Amino acid sequence: MTDPFDLFDVEPAYDLDLGELERRHRNLSRALHPDRYAGRPAAERRQALGRSIEVNDAWRVLRDPVRRAEALLARLGAPASENQSPPTDEELLMEMLELREELSTARQKHDPEAVIRVSGKVRQRQARLSDRMAADFRAALDQKAESVEGRDRFDTLLQQLAELRYYRKFLEDAAVVEDELY
Amino acid sequence: MLLDIFDPKAPPKAIGIDLGTTHSIVAHVVDGRPQALVSCDGTPLLPSVVHFGDHGNVMVGNAARAHSTRCPERTISSAKRFMGRGARDAETQRLGAYRFVEPKSEDDAKVVRFDLGSRNVTPVEVSAEILKSLHQSAVDQLHSVGGAVITVPAYFDDAQRQATKDAGRLAGLQVLRLLNEPTAAALAYGLESRKNGLFAVYDLGGGTFDITILVLDEGVFQVRSTGGDSALGGDDMDRALAEKMLVIMDCEAAETQTPEIVSIALGAARQVKHQLSEVREVAVELPRRGGDTAEFRVTRAEFEALIDPLLARTGKACRRALRDAELDPGQIDGVILVGGATRVPRVRQYVAEVFGREALADIDPDLVVAYGAALQADLLATSSDDILLLDVLPLSLGIETMGGAVDKVLPRNTTIPVGAKSVFTTYADNQTGFDIHVVQGERELAKDCRSLARFLLKGIPPMVAGMARLEVSFHVDENNLLEVTAKELTTGMEQRVEVKPSYGLSDEEIEDMLIDAIDHGDEDFEARRLAETCVEASRMALATDKALRSDADLLGPPELERVEAVLLELRAQIEASSDAARIQMLMHELDDATKAWAGRRMNRAIRAAIAGKDVAAIADSVSDAAGVEAHLEAHGALTGRDE
Repeated sequence: MTDPFDLFDVEPAYDLDLGELERRHRNLSRALHPDRYAGRPAAERRQALGRSIEVNDAWRVLRDPVRRAEALLARLGAPASENQSPPTDEELLMEMLELREELSTARQKHDPEAVIRVSGKVRQRQARLSDRMAADFRAALDQKAESVEGRDRFDTLLQQLAELRYYRKFLEDAAVVEDELY
Repeated sequence: MLLDIFDPKAPPKAIGIDLGTTHSIVAHVVDGRPQALVSCDGTPLLPSVVHFGDHGNVMVGNAARAHSTRCPERTISSAKRFMGRGARDAETQRLGAYRFVEPKSEDDAKVVRFDLGSRNVTPVEVSAEILKSLHQSAVDQLHSVGGAVITVPAYFDDAQRQATKDAGRLAGLQVLRLLNEPTAAALAYGLESRKNGLFAVYDLGGGTFDITILVLDEGVFQVRSTGGDSALGGDDMDRALAEKMLVIMDCEAAETQTPEIVSIALGAARQVKHQLSEVREVAVELPRRGGDTAEFRVTRAEFEALIDPLLARTGKACRRALRDAELDPGQIDGVILVGGATRVPRVRQYVAEVFGREALADIDPDLVVAYGAALQADLLATSSDDILLLDVLPLSLGIETMGGAVDKVLPRNTTIPVGAKSVFTTYADNQTGFDIHVVQGERELAKDCRSLARFLLKGIPPMVAGMARLEVSFHVDENNLLEVTAKELTTGMEQRVEVKPSYGLSDEEIEDMLIDAIDHGDEDFEARRLAETCVEASRMALATDKALRSDADLLGPPELERVEAVLLELRAQIEASSDAARIQMLMHELDDATKAWAGRRMNRAIRAAIAGKDVAAIADSVSDAAGVEAHLEAHGALTGRDE
């Protein structure tokens, strides 16, 4: 499969302009969506379907911060599967535990406001993390990963990705709880 | 109106069909505007009721409805509720006036069958009768009918969609596309107003509720999120009232609730519901068990209290859809109401509460979906560049893992068409087969989700446990229909995959039904097959011709020669109209001959759609913003409705 950044012809970076991305997606869809090929021969329709799928898959990757980071790491030469992430920060684990407890309490007390509050806290952390990741990815993409400095950056990026995954999982679970409580 | 002169050379008209729970409508586009056609009842709205007479005759619409009180077991209404469902599904068990065939085996339970006494019939066959009737009405009025776009609730799962497609096939229709009802409604409104913005479509039909959030931007309708309940609708309002009525009728006990009694109660409930939209209190005489009658009296306020729990369920789905779209209710620019049940005053009030604004209802909520379907059919038939619909997967797709959990392969609200791959491995040495269970739904456990299909991956080369790499690919097309293929990666071979759908009719069963239907008519099955093949081949020849006129320069001389040769023979065979097999073969050959060329033409189309970049650069690249804006402006100015 073509690299999603290449397919959309965007400069590989963590901080992408999502609005621009959406417009590019729409334009590519205009050209490739199977509906455009409704009257055409089957071979063309199949190709259009295949390419459409590729475009939509690439868009999913680029839109999702976790998968975007994974794609960038892949470009840098470090396939980031969950088994390969470095041991997690003790401090982060403790903080996540506390936040989870807060969520659990909110659920037991049937307090949707509290769920929203704790989700808000996690979102804030996520935003700060995103800023750090944007800067670090930019630096890493600007230089080769073989240098010593580069390898350090790798570890940092992998750690950041792990942290991002924690936040993401938390927000997904909080959404389920919020749904329950309404 | 000017005389409608039938031109035998004119291309067949494409039609849109709203196959609704309570009513079905067929529509087409005239001079760019949608218009509903008249059904066999003389009005656009055809009741989705089918009566199967004792002598093999079938009635659809009001004629069928007339029989619903006298012989309810042979009169099926709301067949849509049973599409894609098995005999053991919860929905099948709910309050209704039908007798079902007791399934003899697990396999048999995959499809629910109505027991009509002398015969059984599946929901697919019932729906096919409705589609046949509408198709006939269209042929009567338009003379030549091409393909059809059929709408389905956005929340329909793969089983329900396949069933709808099967019904279309059984009815002899060329199904161009399955289109989600809310998207159809948005299309109808969007093309009316041409205003960009965020829209919510609140679709409360007879049997299903859908909430869809869309954005309309420069001719592209993109669904952001969708949600709903495929077992919640106006019928449930009727049921709630009917249950109260049955008490008055002294028929609270289950044994007393014969199909006739239930049918009377539901009929009365529907009337009362409609009347309560106009007046604040209704009284009606109901027959009581024992012979006399009793009065049933209900106020609008009481009715509203009865339906508020149902509306609360819709509210929950709305909130979830808004959250999935990452939007607040205040960001929605317009709320579109669809479905007859939205005529109930309390429903409008509730929607205004949820979204903080009054809803749009200029287009008749009963016709708006059919209008949208007709517009989409027209767009597809004329290969229009004007509008594009981008829909989403309504329910997550996943695979059952060890222990019964679900591994989500494709999350809900992913823009379609879409694909995903999952890699599995063997857990025992020399394991040559692998069982995969595909499910659809949001729950954590596979048993709580909808079972779609079971795969048996066979012929895995014997290996040490954990060495095999089994890649399962999921493709969801623009109709939201799923296709699964599998490959064994270490040997690079595409292994045999046997898919056992957990629901629905097999291809053989449908073929049998088609043959059966022909037996009851005068047609020769082979003749019909040949005719269909010729039509498909003509279409293909026409399309190839069209492509040659615009993009012949992309063909190398030997390629061009081959294409022209095959095309010539294909045309001759169509003319001769005798050898269906040979025509099929030629179509495959033409397919093969045009494959590479198709790719080059696609690249050209991409470049045309996204202006500005150097032709030598990567084909799938997008220009900078200024280039795109300029292109869209020029494009918008040039597009018209004339061919």
